[in-house]
Amino acid sequence: MTNRAALHSKNLQTLFYPKSVAIVGTNKVKGTVPGDIFINILHAELNGATFPVNPREKYIGGVKAYKYIVDIPDEIDLAIIVFPSSVCNKALEQCGQKGVKAVIIISAGFKEIGGKGLEREKELLEIANKYDMSFIGPNCLGVINTDPLSRLNASFARKFPAEGNIAFLSQSGALCTAVLDYALAKNIGFSKFVSFGNKADISEIDLLYYLMDDDKTKVILLYLEEITDGPGLMQAARDVIEKSHKPVLILKSGRTSAGASAAASHTGSLAGSDEICDAAFKQAGIIRCDNIEEMFNIAIALAYQPLPKTNNVAIITNAGGPGVLTTDAAIKQGLQLAQFSEETTNTLKRSLPTTANIKNPVDVIGDARADRYYAAMSAAFKEKSVDGVFVILTPQSMTDINKIAEEVAKIAHEYDKPVYASFMGEADVASGIKILQKHQIPHYILPESMCKPFYTAYMFDRKIKRKLAEPVIFTDVDKEKAQALLAKAAGEGRSYLPEYLAAKVIEAYKLPVVANGFATSAEEAGSIAESIGFPVVMKVMSDDIIHKYDVGGVILDVNSKEEAEKQYVNIFQNVNKKMPEAKIDGVFIARQISAGTEVILGVKRDPSFGAVIMFGLGGIFVEVFKDVSFRVAPVSKKAALGMIKEVKSSKLLLGARGRAVLDVESVANAIMRLSQLALDCPQIKELDINPMIILEEGEGCYVADTKIII
Amino acid sequence: MEHEELKSRVKKVVARVLKTEQSEIDDDANFIFDLGADSMQSMLLIAAFEEEFDIELDAEKAQEVQTISGAVEFIAANL
Repeated sequence: MTNRAALHSKNLQTLFYPKSVAIVGTNKVKGTVPGDIFINILHAELNGATFPVNPREKYIGGVKAYKYIVDIPDEIDLAIIVFPSSVCNKALEQCGQKGVKAVIIISAGFKEIGGKGLEREKELLEIANKYDMSFIGPNCLGVINTDPLSRLNASFARKFPAEGNIAFLSQSGALCTAVLDYALAKNIGFSKFVSFGNKADISEIDLLYYLMDDDKTKVILLYLEEITDGPGLMQAARDVIEKSHKPVLILKSGRTSAGASAAASHTGSLAGSDEICDAAFKQAGIIRCDNIEEMFNIAIALAYQPLPKTNNVAIITNAGGPGVLTTDAAIKQGLQLAQFSEETTNTLKRSLPTTANIKNPVDVIGDARADRYYAAMSAAFKEKSVDGVFVILTPQSMTDINKIAEEVAKIAHEYDKPVYASFMGEADVASGIKILQKHQIPHYILPESMCKPFYTAYMFDRKIKRKLAEPVIFTDVDKEKAQALLAKAAGEGRSYLPEYLAAKVIEAYKLPVVANGFATSAEEAGSIAESIGFPVVMKVMSDDIIHKYDVGGVILDVNSKEEAEKQYVNIFQNVNKKMPEAKIDGVFIARQISAGTEVILGVKRDPSFGAVIMFGLGGIFVEVFKDVSFRVAPVSKKAALGMIKEVKSSKLLLGARGRAVLDVESVANAIMRLSQLALDCPQIKELDINPMIILEEGEGCYVADTKIII
Repeated sequence: MEHEELKSRVKKVVARVLKTEQSEIDDDANFIFDLGADSMQSMLLIAAFEEEFDIELDAEKAQEVQTISGAVEFIAANL
């Protein structure tokens, strides 16, 4: 943890639980940000003292106002700055002089406007550093803490949310107000609610670490527009998940992959920023959501109910159609319908009418009242093979909706198994839904919507039960040699390494490069070829030639020493004929492997996540289907094997349709070594191993061609 | 115009627009931070300076002027 992060950790507790708050730059004008923030603090009944600061007013809202924060006789824990951006520096400087450690800067007009705004933001950081202060913002909606020990509403949101166990962090202030309104309608409460705006000082990473130890928070939701420290975010999420077992859900905007096509290598062109983001989140155990609704659908399941131990569910419905629809959705999602034991079947037979369906999904029939629902739910909860119950209700004339909702709530508290409900419709079922929400039964308008949250909760339970694998650090690598080769190439003004040098770089990291050598004479070509073993492939090495095949610069199937000597001369003649101006450095000779399956490995630098490793099957699988997978370095063995299995075409490596099982372990090993090389040598901008030939299980894999861009 | 006279007239304008006592205005006072000007009053100040000194000010540059001493310098350069 950096000094600044340690400072934030301490100051965030003060920020969320201040005993005294100064609102610097507030005024008497309702309907303005400076005015409303003060009103919100008063209305929320802060568990502490409030001090308005305004250069002109003697009193605001009946509370004595001070010209400057330094004039306040009491100690101040938290300052909220609402002055225009041009004087925020002055306000922050005075906060420092006053000894304030936690600050929220609401004002806009900083980095987001560029130019002068950027300079102002830097100045704020310098002042905060000078006084060991931490601040949230600028350009944010503010902070809310619903804990009765605090009741802080340092925001200009319209309403103070209910107390709950979900924390919501957002880079967008406007989204915050929409989320608060959405949550209010659904009776969703929050533990902490933070709009962190430009995150000039305190970032989402600091907030994640704070919430990791926050007793009031069970689930953390995060809306992000830009990721500035990808590895830091991944580590923070991992820590939160592993140490506190709190799920982290992220809604990340900007799913388009602009710029990917401009990349210079295969890996570059295949790795859009969003695919990398997806991979990174998966690696860190982060649950990525596509929209606000999905995020809250999953969040309430995780926050309100126990995690399912298996993916076996029971569906209880009073309508056949929705039961079948939910069954379809459940199976498609990866859930299973629990098989009832004979005892459960008999119980259901005794409790339900003969027309009811006593198999899963259980149809209690349209005229079912609360007692019938209770009997079915009770049997399902007692059934050992059931690890979660979906209750579906459609409103018939005799359906006692509220009573059924009460029964669902009652029985849910009796068992350590999750129950979700879908009371379908809107007006008739509204009161029943309110009862469910009040008792924290996750409710979904459409019954199919219960499936993804259940599956996500089940997968999260699995995730926290097994520790994330640590990456292996290889000690047999020659980092100095790789660095020297890269430095030499950079010194010569190269933007890429020729194949014979690129091969040496990855050989330094013990990647299994096919036997090779570099010849500068026909005799040397013959002896190198002989030492490698036949057949060999011979390639011209020239900075002036991009397409070697087109100029006759590549000869395959060379089978003897004499032929190698002859082809060396032929290559020179071919090139001289087609590109007489080309300067030839020599000929690269490598063992030609005819058997095996081609795969591609690559490295790309992502501006947010750093070194990213790519894997895919060669040929059309990469070119046409873009069937590739990514992981952020360092890559553990488990993650490497996951990368291989993640591509749709991986079945071809794993023995599909009578094919031989290939040596995926050796590829996983190569991925891990490549990941270490990428981290050790940041000067590598992009790297392509294309192809790598993978042989049958136990026979390894070989790098046949490497391209390194520096 | 003498520097002191200019400063005095600037303070008079500021006191009138921001409804404060001229005697309470320091030379280095910031219109927003020390005198509590809001965005509307900041605009009114520029208009009042133009009227008082019968000059036309570049609105964008004028908005960057935040203090009494800054205003005196800015107006002097535009007289």
